[in-house]
Amino acid sequence: MDTERHGFKTLAFRHETVLLFVLVIEWFYFHSVGPRFGTLDNSYDILRHSIEIGLLALAMTPIILTGGIDLSVGSLLGLCAITFGKLWRDAGLPIPVAAACTLCVGALAGGLNASLITWLRLPPLIVTLGTYSLFRGLAEAITRGVDTFTNFPPSFLFLGQERWLGLPAQAWIFLVVAVAVWLLVHRTTFGRSFRAIGFAPEGARYAGIPVERRLAMVYVLAGVTAALAAIIYTARLGQAKADAGTGYELFAITAVVLGGTSIFGGVGSVHGTLLGVAAIAVLSNGLVHARQPREVAGMLTGVLLILALSGSVVPKMLATWRTRRQIPREIQQSNTT
Amino acid sequence: MLNEIREPQCAQQAGASASDSGTRTSLGFRNFVVGFSHRHFREVSVAAALLVLLAALAIFAPAFYQPQPLLSLLTREAPTLVVACGMALVIISRQIDISVGSQFAVCSVSAGLLAALNWPLALVLPASIALGAALGAINGALVAGLRLPSIVVTLATMVTWREALRWLRQGEFVNLPDGAQWFGLSQVTGQITLIVVALTLLVALALAMKHLAAGRFVYAVGSDAEAARLAGIRPQLTTFFAFVLLGALVGLAAMMNVVQSPQVDPKSGTGLELKVIAAVVVGGVAISGGRGNLWGVFAGLLLLACISPALTHLRVEAYWEKAIQGAIILLAVVADGLRSRKERH
Amino acid sequence: MNKFLSFSIVAGLACLLGCGKSSDATGGSSGGKKLTIALMPKSKGNAYFISCKKGADKAAAELGIELIFDGPTDPDPARQNEIIENWITLGVDAIAAACENKEGISTALRKAKARGIKVITYDADALPDAREFFVNQATPEGIGHRLMDEAARLCGNEGEFAIITASLTAANMIEWQKHIEARRASEYPKMKMVALRPCDDLKDKAQSEATALLSANPNLKLIMAICSPAVPGAAEAVKQAGKTGRVKVIGLGLPSENRRYVKEGVTDSVILWKTEDLGYLTVYAAHALAKGELKTGDTRFKAGSLGEFEIQGDNLLLGKPFVFTKENIDQFDF
Repeated sequence: MDTERHGFKTLAFRHETVLLFVLVIEWFYFHSVGPRFGTLDNSYDILRHSIEIGLLALAMTPIILTGGIDLSVGSLLGLCAITFGKLWRDAGLPIPVAAACTLCVGALAGGLNASLITWLRLPPLIVTLGTYSLFRGLAEAITRGVDTFTNFPPSFLFLGQERWLGLPAQAWIFLVVAVAVWLLVHRTTFGRSFRAIGFAPEGARYAGIPVERRLAMVYVLAGVTAALAAIIYTARLGQAKADAGTGYELFAITAVVLGGTSIFGGVGSVHGTLLGVAAIAVLSNGLVHARQPREVAGMLTGVLLILALSGSVVPKMLATWRTRRQIPREIQQSNTT
Repeated sequence: MLNEIREPQCAQQAGASASDSGTRTSLGFRNFVVGFSHRHFREVSVAAALLVLLAALAIFAPAFYQPQPLLSLLTREAPTLVVACGMALVIISRQIDISVGSQFAVCSVSAGLLAALNWPLALVLPASIALGAALGAINGALVAGLRLPSIVVTLATMVTWREALRWLRQGEFVNLPDGAQWFGLSQVTGQITLIVVALTLLVALALAMKHLAAGRFVYAVGSDAEAARLAGIRPQLTTFFAFVLLGALVGLAAMMNVVQSPQVDPKSGTGLELKVIAAVVVGGVAISGGRGNLWGVFAGLLLLACISPALTHLRVEAYWEKAIQGAIILLAVVADGLRSRKERH
Repeated sequence: MNKFLSFSIVAGLACLLGCGKSSDATGGSSGGKKLTIALMPKSKGNAYFISCKKGADKAAAELGIELIFDGPTDPDPARQNEIIENWITLGVDAIAAACENKEGISTALRKAKARGIKVITYDADALPDAREFFVNQATPEGIGHRLMDEAARLCGNEGEFAIITASLTAANMIEWQKHIEARRASEYPKMKMVALRPCDDLKDKAQSEATALLSANPNLKLIMAICSPAVPGAAEAVKQAGKTGRVKVIGLGLPSENRRYVKEGVTDSVILWKTEDLGYLTVYAAHALAKGELKTGDTRFKAGSLGEFEIQGDNLLLGKPFVFTKENIDQFDF
């Protein structure tokens, strides 16, 4: 890969600008076809609907930065949602205690992923493919599929359904998490070590980075964030059931990749992820205002993903191709490797 | 593929494990067995797990071994095996394709519609394979041509094909004309034909991967694309054809599934990618490329395919099924992980 | 370079949106004073709801209203909730929803009601305070009893049977199972349910599950498939196992998907209501409600060419579920 950091910086910058541009275009297009699209109410809708996936995408960003992946977050959201419901209704715990315990369960589940990945050095894709089935299966087994937790007190539902200080209540939590993850990735040595691991795990180890501990950290963090998303999900819908969050992992990964984070690790940014989440959320909301069927949202997301990716690759390839024709073969070989 | 932590010796092992099996037979039978099980630890452990499961069934639910239901079970899994073989190739070349389920659905519905137009099946079959190959070529072109990450490209095509199909067909079943089922053969002949086709493909591909230059290219590219390029292999072309082959196999598998019943469900193939990828990695193919073989994949697929009917036979409640499946996938890889951990220390 | 990127992305997006718009099934926005009614299925791409939509389209054309038909691509309560909230902001006049999950959607429906949008439910109900009327095609109790009675009749009131469901978490199927079980316990104690298997709403998986059920339970007398793709799936499995006639198949499904098996005698009876009428009645009721022509306390309701329907409390009754058998299945085309 490239040698200068400068090159990456401009590339990342470019990708995010393009994404912002797409977002603006989306906004204006939907604004012109749907008269109510631009209202404050609708902006709040978009915000509220994207928070759970946004949280998962935030947690996924450092993981993908290290070159890993976590397919189990959606299933974990389901498991945590029913854990929360079970603790509150059946164990009779007050909401804050139940929430705290749920976060612990999330951390434990993340710890299971982390220990298999770091201790046994198994590929994250396989480990989380296994826990993807395992967590969802546990959620179904515990509730036998049937049990639904409802009738939460209004003080709890406030978190998911009402506004506080002008914004949807859960947006404040999201804001705090987003700022925290941004600081972690962009302003601490942790963030730098994630990238280093993503670039070259062995190199990072020789450079004195505790690779195992850093990896464990990102997966446990993802577990806790999934639990937090589960609590917000429960508050927004007013119910917890074993099918909560089905398929969310794919949305989260899509948002992260759309935001310019390389799936191979090493390159990416948290603000890019936020833009990615926004681009998908605005698209899926706007298409309702444009009276388009739901399937189109899925198709466009797929197309957008490929366009965004090739958008940053095609010009680079054209450039290489052009230089390749000019530079003699020997020099070119040492450059591309 | 994903840039996970890899042991430095991984690439060397990769070359060695497949090529030198059988060269040490002179050391005596016992050494051979020890050596074999050491080199093919994952394949052997998966096969052992399968045997344990089959033995448990023999003791607690002998009804599992009636010939007719067993034949049906195998026929149901034959298309999955065909897809798994192709997926193994793609994963060995260090890529992944999560769009196979959607490709499968597109091919199934197209094949069904063509058959409903009274095309002869002899034409529908190549059409389905060609369509699959074309869909695979799109993935391949994006991955090999534009060098985009395969997991993201196929994530995008998975969503796009699936939603496009839903949009166009609105979930309507396709009714096949009479006589299309089992290619017009009798049921048992049809079932045996499908199984034979799948097994022939498995054996042919397994041998090709070991003995043909093209097969070795796939391993070489998956182990180290740059080294392969320096050795005169064209990695991008190899990758491209791995995707095209997978697509063609998906097209064939779709057809093998379509002829098993007189109707095509446009949702067929949902979740196929997870089942197939799980079978491939449980069967010992390294997700980091360059390592693994199709015999392991076969064992892995049989193991996963047997779990669900086995649970039905053992009268385990369905609520536990997903959890048990996840646990088995994890156990299979944990065993391997423990062993390589022991080796490291 | 930057320009090139932006251009390619924008062009692609604009082009796709353009294509999407031209082939939009609901006919685009025409503005004006036309009433807008939003109809939500449990999930898109489900033949059952497509059949409902046919009737709904017919009613919309007769009434001259704009009909929006949209829902999640997979049955997901969170997505249903989101789309309803989008519709509230969009300012539709009435919402008719088939609810995947009572509580999950009721939060959003209550919000719609508070904003003055008329809310009715069809197919599967929400909590009663979240909607004004429920177009009741058959109560869960009615469906459960009907299925169990039919099963008992075919088995001669004793023997083993198994159920294939869509997923272990599908709310309405859980409800039906409850009533099936209650009916079995009270009326047919000699019947025994040996297994409950999910098929993920896929015909192929239903076939595999049924095959395993047949070999695991040699005394099985009947398979009851309570989601529509499972009925042909189970029938194909029974046929391939050579147990046609010895193991009966019944279930809830569309006649078009089951005609072949019913005629061959593999499937004994398929139970369903007239789905097109359900869509038709739902749109008429939503329209009347939005116009203020339908009020709580009414006991009759006239829906276009279908004539009068009875109202019990806040339930509009579509009529009894229909049993399709070898004799009558050819008369129905949906």
